[in-house]
Amino acid sequence: MSFDVLFNQFMSGIARAALLFLVASGLSLTFGVLRVLNFAHGSLYMLGAFISYSVWKFLLMPVLGFYIAAIVAALIMAGLGLIIEFVLLRRLYSRGWPEQLLATYAIVLMITDLVKWAWGGKFLSIQRPKPFTGAVFLFDFPFPSYNFFVIGLGLALVIFLWWLVYRTRLGDIIRAAASDREMVAALGIPIPWLFTWIFVLGSMIGGLSGAVTAPFGSVALGMDIEIIVECFAVVVIGGMGSLPGTLLGSFIVGQVYSFGIMFKPELALAFIFMVMAVVLIIRPWGIFGRPER
Amino acid sequence: MVQNPTEKEKSLSQRVWWLALLILISLIAPFVISEFYLAILCEALVMSLLALSFNLLFGYMGQLSFGQAAFYGLGGYAVAMLMTKAHLNFWLSLVAGILLPAIIGLIVGYFCVRLRGIYFAILTLAFGQLIFFIVFKWHNFTGGDDGIQGIFPPDFLKSPTAYYYFILIVFLLSSYVLWRIIHSPFGQTIVSMRENSERTEFLGINIARYQLIAFVIAAAFAGLAGAIWVPFYRSVAPSYLTWLKSGEPVMAAILGGPSLFFGPILGMFIMTFFHAWVLGFTVYWPVVMGALILAVIFFLPGGILGFIQEKVNQRKEIRNRE
Repeated sequence: MSFDVLFNQFMSGIARAALLFLVASGLSLTFGVLRVLNFAHGSLYMLGAFISYSVWKFLLMPVLGFYIAAIVAALIMAGLGLIIEFVLLRRLYSRGWPEQLLATYAIVLMITDLVKWAWGGKFLSIQRPKPFTGAVFLFDFPFPSYNFFVIGLGLALVIFLWWLVYRTRLGDIIRAAASDREMVAALGIPIPWLFTWIFVLGSMIGGLSGAVTAPFGSVALGMDIEIIVECFAVVVIGGMGSLPGTLLGSFIVGQVYSFGIMFKPELALAFIFMVMAVVLIIRPWGIFGRPER
Repeated sequence: MVQNPTEKEKSLSQRVWWLALLILISLIAPFVISEFYLAILCEALVMSLLALSFNLLFGYMGQLSFGQAAFYGLGGYAVAMLMTKAHLNFWLSLVAGILLPAIIGLIVGYFCVRLRGIYFAILTLAFGQLIFFIVFKWHNFTGGDDGIQGIFPPDFLKSPTAYYYFILIVFLLSSYVLWRIIHSPFGQTIVSMRENSERTEFLGINIARYQLIAFVIAAAFAGLAGAIWVPFYRSVAPSYLTWLKSGEPVMAAILGGPSLFFGPILGMFIMTFFHAWVLGFTVYWPVVMGALILAVIFFLPGGILGFIQEKVNQRKEIRNRE
């Protein structure tokens, strides 16, 4: 196998990893703090993509349209996240996790129908925004420059989340709440308030990642479950609720996906699961995760 | 709660009478209801079997599988492919429809039983979607998106009424077997794992092995449900294996009450008939189901049967006090 093919797959794997990190980090952040697995995260991602499509189409601006659409989608998803947390999840923290999981599953069903009703079952796509329409040459090989935009955005999110979690006072509270919720509450920190904002942040990241996917030409029903299964693989491999784990998991899954597609497209997902199975045998709680109590 | 033996016997004989009444009603049902509702009744019975298999893991073992429909679909596909492509006999195909999901359940379960709680739910969902993905993509073997059509039961089961009785017999036998499994020493062991897995482990019980056995049993019964449904519906499609299908037994168990054997059956009957009724005026069933889920979670924790049992116990307590 020649170098250019391997390099090509590696680079598209990196772009895939960046996209996976965008989606999985929101899921993992919410889970790390709230201990609620948000099944609806994929739905927020899908809804974000559809909303950004509609806003983009409404604006018809060649340069700024996409970016405005992405921000609008992220903000609307943040608002939806606020409603979901405030109206539903808040009342369920004292209950068992199966009920919490099922409540987010109910949201999945509702958003799926909302999308079906508002946009129908068509495949939609957004043109790549300027200045990321062309190709970039690396070692004389062309790559879509939009991939580099996604990679850059993924890196920016890594740095932002790292700064937020490890370098701010809010981050101290987040990490403390992840390890001992009662103790943090006893110190006078309003836990419900913290949960609300973390959920809003997670939802916003979900909506933004959906908008960013749109120019890849894959805005359609079913994109939610497709991405959420890969995100579960990411967090199972990397460790639930761990930022470095999500980063490493995204990298592994992105690469396995990219090279798997080269060998046998039908089995790309199966290759990811094989890696996941190996990790589960050696470290059931993921590479960076903590053993369950 | 300590019951004196006579009271226990009384409630048991009462239960037997209720059960006999229900079986009698289901035996005369085909003569009373229309063919449309008979088909719905068949679906309710088949889906109840799926819900029972799910609840063996959820209600008794304390593990929530979000991939149970994958085994249901595998059972259906095994029957469909063997009957249409290999022209195998109906009964042998049914056996394969139990064995294939059980074998896949053994492989998938090997990984899943290492995890607890929410992680188990994630992994079963992910494996379920993987199985769906393979069936969906493997077009020249499984028919992919098109599914498989033209699966017919043997001649004497071709009429809806005859097949209804066949489904009823399979359902009753399977329920009885599951009931016996749950009330056997094995069943009590998996219940003890739900209550306190640490203590159970200290008793020298290999938790992973017991959970794997239960997982395989659940997969086999889910497969049986799919295997008997497909010849009735005459076709099978990849949508049988998706996580949306897997959500139905979860929902049924929570609706009816997962702590009781009959809970998931009641939940599935309510859901199936409600579904048929709702489809009469809207195609947006999922949004209705989502609202129903939220309503049950918020207003009926413990499910319908759990709610009734609580009320009955309260009344008993008042009577005992008097």
